[in-house]
Amino acid sequence: MKLKSVLTKVTALAAAAVVGIGAFSLPVLAEGNVPYTTYNYNYWGDIVYTPAAYEPDKVVTGGNLIYNGESIGNFITPQDICVSDAGLIYLADTGNNRIVVMDGNMSSVINIIDSFDNEGVTDTFNQPYGVAVSESDQIYIADSQNNRVVVLNQDGSLARIVSNPVSESLEDGYVFVPLKVTVDYADRIYCIAQNMFEGIMVFETNGQFAGFFGTISVDITLWEKFWRKLATKEERAKSQLFIPTEFTGIDIDPDGFVYASNIDANGIQGVRRLNPRGQDVIKKGTNDNLGGDLQIAGSTDYAGPSQFTDVVYRENGIYSCLDKKRGRIFTYDHEGNLLYIFGGLGTQMGTFKVPSSIESVGGDLIVLDSSNATVTYFNETEYGRLINQAVSLRYDGDEEQAVELWKQVLLLDENNELANTGIGKAYLTAGDYVQAMKYLKIGMARDYYSLAYKRYRNNILTENADVYMTVIIVAVVGLYVWSKVKKKVKKSGKEVK
Amino acid sequence: MSKYFGKDKWFSMLRTITHPMDEFYWIRHRENRGSVPLAILMVFIFSCCFTANRLLSSFVVNDIDARTVDSLFELIGVLVFYLLLCVSNWSITCLMNGEGRLKDIAIAVGYSTVPISFILMLATIVSRFIADDEQAFYAIILVVGVAYGIIMMVIGIMQVHNYTLGKTLLTVFLTFVALLIIVFLILLLTNLLGMVFNFFKSIYTELIFRT
Repeated sequence: MKLKSVLTKVTALAAAAVVGIGAFSLPVLAEGNVPYTTYNYNYWGDIVYTPAAYEPDKVVTGGNLIYNGESIGNFITPQDICVSDAGLIYLADTGNNRIVVMDGNMSSVINIIDSFDNEGVTDTFNQPYGVAVSESDQIYIADSQNNRVVVLNQDGSLARIVSNPVSESLEDGYVFVPLKVTVDYADRIYCIAQNMFEGIMVFETNGQFAGFFGTISVDITLWEKFWRKLATKEERAKSQLFIPTEFTGIDIDPDGFVYASNIDANGIQGVRRLNPRGQDVIKKGTNDNLGGDLQIAGSTDYAGPSQFTDVVYRENGIYSCLDKKRGRIFTYDHEGNLLYIFGGLGTQMGTFKVPSSIESVGGDLIVLDSSNATVTYFNETEYGRLINQAVSLRYDGDEEQAVELWKQVLLLDENNELANTGIGKAYLTAGDYVQAMKYLKIGMARDYYSLAYKRYRNNILTENADVYMTVIIVAVVGLYVWSKVKKKVKKSGKEVK
Repeated sequence: MSKYFGKDKWFSMLRTITHPMDEFYWIRHRENRGSVPLAILMVFIFSCCFTANRLLSSFVVNDIDARTVDSLFELIGVLVFYLLLCVSNWSITCLMNGEGRLKDIAIAVGYSTVPISFILMLATIVSRFIADDEQAFYAIILVVGVAYGIIMMVIGIMQVHNYTLGKTLLTVFLTFVALLIIVFLILLLTNLLGMVFNFFKSIYTELIFRT
């Protein structure tokens, strides 16, 4: 009896130990830790669930930040963040009329800019909406309600003020309300202004208004044209105007190409890459879509196309767009392939209420929420790191090295089309056409698959040329002989008759 | 079996491909020359070839998500379309002095799927040996086959009803109009029948809950 109870206890203990070890040794899946679904769209536009590429790390509020021994107080409707080349974070604390400068971790405040010396008079900001830092470390502040862009030096002294753009193309009485601002290597200012549908406003280094940039053309369908032809003057006056969409966010890459996000009512193109002449040179990828979510059908508030409110150029052709509609972050590579999607609306850490700006600092992505007045840090996961590195290697033309990374991606996400295509291309260059075809087919890379197949077919034909030629020659000779014999047999048959 | 699928029936069917004018005429005017079951079998084979082409043709030319292909659904669709086409053509040609019987129409339409089926099979095989820039061959094969099938169908209907070409084309057009009307009526009928059914069903539930 006693022995039995001891045995039972031992078994129970062993069972508990096994269960316990099992629970601890199970790898914790990343998607279990994040408060949002992470997915991607495949070739067919279907949703494919993927591991999380980024996971929330921390949330920073203004109240927790200390400057000169006291809390700086919560941010109020902050609208923009910017990361300088030195790795400092500049936050446009719009409601508090100040610019807060912090280190890359947002652990300590380095400076608070709320006033500057304007020709001997102390001047302040009124609703500073956007902020940017140039390569020469000058701070550009879109001082929206003061209708000007203020340029400050690092020491806080005024460099210049850009206001009152003068041009024939501007209406009389135009009020300049700058919202977002960025600056290129030559200190040209690119500015998104309120109610300015004609494009991004460009100012030369000396503050002179140079013109509009990257105007979004309005597409009127044939059908709409037809109805406008039929309509009377009164009807036409009442119908809605065809106004191009405004730009919402802006960033610039080291080569001087401007990335600008806009809200596309059709959900097809929410971001543009503008060359120095203002032409859109972005690549749209296999789905021919840069508009965020593809499956947007429905009539609820939550349905409809994504609304990109900001864009950040990261590195090696990778850029991320922030969707205000569903709080998601869409990351594309330089070919327009959608790399990964994460983020969402909500109240948990890692979700947003009204996301307004996105930046990249170090390897992290930081997102500013203007309603919660918080900044959320996102760390890249193993999955995200592998994709980022592989895409970067491919961008540098180093596809051979990328293969190892793509193979690791496949361990986490078996049907990842980019990874399969990457591996397939490597096999193609290595000359293993059968393997190349296998991977390129899963990757839906039709053109490369065709190339691999062509070479494979060629190989088989050249390798077996002797066999084919022998068969053909034997067949021709055989037929010839056969017909001769047949004739002779017939002839002799006739003679016998 | 040989009554429907005898050697002569197969021979006659193959002859419609090479001599459509002659053979469709004889099918109409000689007893037991054509075979409706054979025509239905050909439609069945056509459906199989159609599905096979969508599923098996090479990745290079095939932009169809294999998960969306349902062979049974396509078979039913093809058979229903075949039935509708025959019935609507018959109902139109009855009014337009056509000489053909429903049987002849069914044979004419069924037999004319044969070249299309053959070409679909051929194209599927060819597609597995071509690269991206050789897609034109695949397209040409398909276009030629389908065009031949359609021409055969028009000739078949023309010969079966003893029409001129112009009148045939007119009836073909009217056939499609009739087809739409039939579909509309069927939808209307099922809708109304559903209402009647619901009516009796609600009476039944009322009676049950009354006790």
